[in-house]
Amino acid sequence: MSGKFKEFHDELRSVASDLLAKDAAVDWPLLAEAGWTGLEAPENLGGAGAGFGEVAVVLQEMGRAATRSAYIGGTVLSVGTLIALQPSATRDALLSDVATGAVRTAVALSRDGQDVDPSAPFRIESSSAGLRITGRSEFVPDADGADRLLLLANAADVPVVVVATAQASGLSVTPQPVVDETRRLSVVVADGVMVDESSVWRFDGDPGTRVRRLLDRAAVAVACDSVGLAEAMLSATVSYAAVRHQFGRPIGSFQAVKHACADMLVRISVARQLVSAAVEAIADDRTDAATAASMAKSYATAAAVDVVGKAMQLHGGIGYTWESGIHVYLKRAALNRSLFGSPAAHRKQLAQRYSQGT
Amino acid sequence: MTPTADLDEFRATVRAWCDEHVPSDWRRAQTDVDDEQFVDFQKWWFQELRAAGFAVPHWPREWGGGMSVAEQIILYRELAAHDAPRLVLAFVGIHHAASTLLAAGTQEQLQRHLPAILGGEIWVQGFSEPEAGSDLASLRTSARRDGDSYVINGQKLWASGGMHADWCLLLARTDPDAAKRKGISYFLLDMSTAGVDVRPIRNAIGESHFCEIFLNDVKIPAANLVGAENAGWQVAQATLGAERGLTMLELAERLGHAGFRWLVEACRRGRLIEDAVVQDKLAQFDIEITGLRGLCRDLVERSETGTAGAADASVVKLFYSELLQRLTDFGAEIGGLAAHTQLTKPISSGWESGSWVLDFIGSWEWTIPGGSSEIQRTIIGERGLGLPREPSAVG
Repeated sequence: MSGKFKEFHDELRSVASDLLAKDAAVDWPLLAEAGWTGLEAPENLGGAGAGFGEVAVVLQEMGRAATRSAYIGGTVLSVGTLIALQPSATRDALLSDVATGAVRTAVALSRDGQDVDPSAPFRIESSSAGLRITGRSEFVPDADGADRLLLLANAADVPVVVVATAQASGLSVTPQPVVDETRRLSVVVADGVMVDESSVWRFDGDPGTRVRRLLDRAAVAVACDSVGLAEAMLSATVSYAAVRHQFGRPIGSFQAVKHACADMLVRISVARQLVSAAVEAIADDRTDAATAASMAKSYATAAAVDVVGKAMQLHGGIGYTWESGIHVYLKRAALNRSLFGSPAAHRKQLAQRYSQGT
Repeated sequence: MTPTADLDEFRATVRAWCDEHVPSDWRRAQTDVDDEQFVDFQKWWFQELRAAGFAVPHWPREWGGGMSVAEQIILYRELAAHDAPRLVLAFVGIHHAASTLLAAGTQEQLQRHLPAILGGEIWVQGFSEPEAGSDLASLRTSARRDGDSYVINGQKLWASGGMHADWCLLLARTDPDAAKRKGISYFLLDMSTAGVDVRPIRNAIGESHFCEIFLNDVKIPAANLVGAENAGWQVAQATLGAERGLTMLELAERLGHAGFRWLVEACRRGRLIEDAVVQDKLAQFDIEITGLRGLCRDLVERSETGTAGAADASVVKLFYSELLQRLTDFGAEIGGLAAHTQLTKPISSGWESGSWVLDFIGSWEWTIPGGSSEIQRTIIGERGLGLPREPSAVG
């Protein structure tokens, strides 16, 4: 990373960290006001013309603060989807509205929120009355309250995106409460939603690759969050271990505690490497992005669960209380691990290379 | 920073050189060889690399190095990708001895030793002792000033390659009354001096590269003191961590190339490659090796810019050691009984030679020496995270 970028990232990180420390929940208008909704959109459409690398900084800080926001669905996946589509006046207008925060969208990308196989959850059929959309997508981030939904659909086996208003007849968005209360997930069902041809938007470039890259982006976004929350928990544990005394000494002076903290740092250090490599691969749209994304998602989200679990353990009784808030991180880490492909599912993707010859 | 186009050109140069110079059959040829053949092979390979300008890329330009960090990374990657032999024998000389002298040596010491190292002089590290392993600072070997010399008495242990060494990096106690880290001095010892007795120790895999060095009234000229008297601990500390970046990068690249490739091949041979559990393990190792390579590159770059954290090298050493152990363990499991019939492994190879059972047993040579995994965790906890020290901490 060049010096200029690093400076910008440091600045962004510090601003984000200050803002996110104020409140556990950050409302949509505030995200827009901070300029985070438009980071990746081009400047002529009201965006900042930055890249996924900058978005990753915000994601990591949101993980660190366990922020409740619609950023992943409303911005990271929405903007990622819109910039992957063929430019047009209507596409540009929506991208601009999403970038400025005027409109909130969500993306229904997969059937069950964890499938690493890119098969579109919706299908388009032509009927005498027009185009008819049917399908179901579960665990869609931030769909509840979105103004419009971007549905990944198959049109004669070619993936496209259908843009539907939340009020469309036959379209339902039902919240799916999960143990992690910091995320808003919903099941999106299209039961014969009628749309016209202008609502069907095509991918720019090879549709299969574009969809793959969107899933990679989703996986890496979650991995960034996991790195941030793991770092927060290590830091909290180290602070606690330095002040909490038992047997007449700070518990952090005991090797059992110290070495556990060292292991947390090692895992986080490895996760950081894999995640920053994946962020770069997504930002540069490299052909190895899928591999880098699977590595990062698999390692970082699993490591975060271990790290937060260890944080709860080392905090002792207080760590298990609702009051301590560690459970918030453990639940979020566990959800991150499952969302957009389990570590095992991503490793299975990677392993295809070995039987085919490396 | 070197422009990308120049780096591409450099990569092409290294590749072409490797294609031409890396012997294709060295693994077979270096299995079951005697000491003399091993030493000859190592010295030959060192001179090959030297002639190409690849032997000491990390040294300053005036001493025969001068490669940028980006170029060094490419060099080690390509050597690993071409499965070149490792510089086992020259290791202490080109890394520890050179960096110690460059950091704390006199001009005379540099002039005397750096060209000689390039010429093939072999070095050994005389740090550990029977009673000073993980607690290195409690070492007892004494150095008593006598006119223009020091007289050394004591015993060193785990001196790798000691029987082939021309010179030794020696830590000895010059002030028995000072706090234990404050009474140690750093010496250069000519191994042909009277009173030096080297005896090999057979290790767990049957090799004898570790040595005991007995020092009985050994005279070292005062000119061979490195740094100030009683400042030896600081001299040793300053150069140990700095060296870890590049040497670890090389090992990580080897693990990522030949090491992982052999693991996949072992799985194929055992007809286990389609097994879901095996695939999962392979993917896990692939991911961890990728993470390790990133960590090493990061450490090298940070060391260069002086921004490395106090425990970054320990993170890398700990992670590599334990990853190597788990990976060779898996290789031994996958290799089945056939792996147990491989009674020797090629010398001059990396720590994953493909003789999995021996590699697995040999992996403790990483988790124990150079600061055991337990010591690394303590360093990471205390220097990396700032956790409180043990109340009984001394020195």
